[in-house]
Amino acid sequence: MNFLKTPGFGGTSVQFSPFFETRLAVSACQNYGIVGNGRQYVIELTPNGISEVCYYETNSILLDCSWCECNENLLLSADGDGSLKLWDTACLPAANPIASLVEHMSDACCVDWNLQRKNCFLSSSWDTTIKLWTLDRSTSFRTFAEHTHCVYGVSWNPLHPDVLASASGDCTLRCWDVRSPASILVIGAHDSEILSCDWNKYNEFLLATGSVDSSIRLWDVRNHMIPLAVLDGHTLAVRRVKFSPYHENVIGSCSYDMTVRLWNTVIPQNALLATYDHHTEFAAGFDMSLHEDYLLASVGYDDCIFVWPHTSDPRM
Amino acid sequence: MGSFVRRQQVFFEHLRPLERESTSLVASPCAAGDSAAYERTTDYNDDVVIVAAYRTPLCKSKRGGFKDTYADDLLAPVLKAVVERTGLNPAEVGDIVVGTVLAPGSQRANECRMAAFYAGFPETVPVRTVNRQCSSGLQAVADVAAAIKAGFYDIGIGAGLESMTINPMAWEGSVNPKVETIQKVQDCLLPMGVTSENVAERFSVSRKEQDEAAVVSHARAAAATAKGKFKDEIIPVETKLVDPKSAEEKSVLISVDDGIRPETSLASLSKLKPVFKKGGSTTAGNSSQVSDGAAAVLLMRRGVAIQKNLSILGVFRSFAAVGVDPAVMGIGPAVAIPAAVKAAGLELSDIDLFEINEAFASQYTYCLKKLELDPEKVNVNGGAIALGHPLGATGARATATLLHEMKRRGKDCRFGIVSMCIGTGMGAAAVFERGSIVDPLNNVRPIELNNFLSQDAQ
Repeated sequence: MNFLKTPGFGGTSVQFSPFFETRLAVSACQNYGIVGNGRQYVIELTPNGISEVCYYETNSILLDCSWCECNENLLLSADGDGSLKLWDTACLPAANPIASLVEHMSDACCVDWNLQRKNCFLSSSWDTTIKLWTLDRSTSFRTFAEHTHCVYGVSWNPLHPDVLASASGDCTLRCWDVRSPASILVIGAHDSEILSCDWNKYNEFLLATGSVDSSIRLWDVRNHMIPLAVLDGHTLAVRRVKFSPYHENVIGSCSYDMTVRLWNTVIPQNALLATYDHHTEFAAGFDMSLHEDYLLASVGYDDCIFVWPHTSDPRM
Repeated sequence: MGSFVRRQQVFFEHLRPLERESTSLVASPCAAGDSAAYERTTDYNDDVVIVAAYRTPLCKSKRGGFKDTYADDLLAPVLKAVVERTGLNPAEVGDIVVGTVLAPGSQRANECRMAAFYAGFPETVPVRTVNRQCSSGLQAVADVAAAIKAGFYDIGIGAGLESMTINPMAWEGSVNPKVETIQKVQDCLLPMGVTSENVAERFSVSRKEQDEAAVVSHARAAAATAKGKFKDEIIPVETKLVDPKSAEEKSVLISVDDGIRPETSLASLSKLKPVFKKGGSTTAGNSSQVSDGAAAVLLMRRGVAIQKNLSILGVFRSFAAVGVDPAVMGIGPAVAIPAAVKAAGLELSDIDLFEINEAFASQYTYCLKKLELDPEKVNVNGGAIALGHPLGATGARATATLLHEMKRRGKDCRFGIVSMCIGTGMGAAAVFERGSIVDPLNNVRPIELNNFLSQDAQ
């Protein structure tokens, strides 16, 4: 596979399209996400490498993106001015964004689309709230406000359409149920800020968290007092964790130490499967393909997007 | 700017050193202190940038190189130059705004439209004029920048045009008798030279100081011309000259400013008699010349410039127009410059180069003294006393001269100002930034108090 450079814009998040096996969305921002404009890129994998299909510009940085699960052309971005931008790749660039959902009071940093109820999605923000939205409404359905610091990540449970988990800078991992008024579980998962969380795709009780203390911890929600496993290896904060859609025990992560790592959780002491250090700046976004086993994508503040199969060198 | 500080804090927290593992990554507070010019280095894709700025030579009215040139033939070459030399497709220009003062409004607007056609612009590119007296050229540039920021279009041309041969200063028709009722209304009718005498008297600017300023202006302009500095910004104009006696036409190529008198000295100036007031100090030698000329500045959004691979000559930062007492209209820059600097979020000490229109040596000298400016940074290539003051063109002309000089001076010369006084009592100023990132080693300034607080917090 090849790589694509997006000069001036560092990638903050990447996601494979659930509909097209060669299509990805990359959200990006200027100036390392401190200040400046943002871009939402749509890229295509071709036999000659990665090509840019289109991009959409925003006035403020973009921190995350998520493909819609019910329409192959819709794409959602989390914008640094607190809004969520909805893009339609089938419409002309001038008609985009087709919607701007403005409710968060501070930077929106994570969006996640529900895999089963395909018309609803979550957004989490630095204003400490999580909001639930549906496609047909321009106002949020519900606000989850219990965290006391930025909510860096939010994730729907792939097997239970009403259950979600959130990772926050207040060092807690919270589980919520849409049917309940308050959070259903609070786990003091780390001693430092938690930057990402993800559910296991095969085991409905298993959660992973990535933290500023550079460790990844696995939690069973039935017995949450101690972590199931602690994965050490990263040397700086873990920015994103992602469970594999193909293997129950495989988890991938990207970190501020500029590496992307793949782990096997069966033997926690010897879990590291591979370390990829192809990035020359913070690796901020990571995803694993739903269509091809072990096909990985990562983006970083060095303005580069890499897509490569596990065990091969991303730079080739 | 609050969001930028907050984001820095959040991302900073992610990198906090941990107890159990020693990391080599530790952030320490910046001991260089805060210099406003140094801190604001970010480039946004939404910035309005200048990619080209050109002018015609400036020639004396009625007697100089453009005395037989039509106004549209003055404007067309500079409009053509800004698109030709950048390789831009003229059809992509969203609007052309021309500052022009003395000609009848509708006719001059029509002539500007014609000039655009001569310059090769298609009919789809609109044209308009703007008139804020002597600042019209600068106001045109500011209007285009504002329209680009407002999203009306991405690419625009701000220009200036004046032929004082064709349109000398004059008042058509009668004067409303009501002018007697308000002093300031009556002062609007004062001849410009009388306001110059008012400034000289009210603020004690001596004849000697004014003549010295005139000598410096001519010397600097002559030196700049001799060094070939103006070659970067001047577009030679092919035109004709008609002999007044024999009516014989001669084709000429005008490529040099013809108002400069290198041999000007205190001695030669002291022989001139005051023109506007008996026993006064303002003479023809220490006033700006009556001239013909045009200039054009091409502006666009930074994202568009990068896309087209155009090198960026300058960045438009701020503009301010202010009002002052019409009787001493010359003090305009002393009020407008601080306003524009403040609007840009800077301090006066951050400005490295100035172009202040020398309408009269009296007001120019007053402004230098009032703002405590270093004369080595002001009008370094001469001013209107030597070059001429074609009213509508001056603002755009000074922008071209400023940006090209800042480019020559390199990264140390980061911010520049164009400013002028305006007849009937106003002033205008605009802050420009050189078109590239500051070299941090050269442009950090010493600070007085190192309390680690940003200037915003103090």
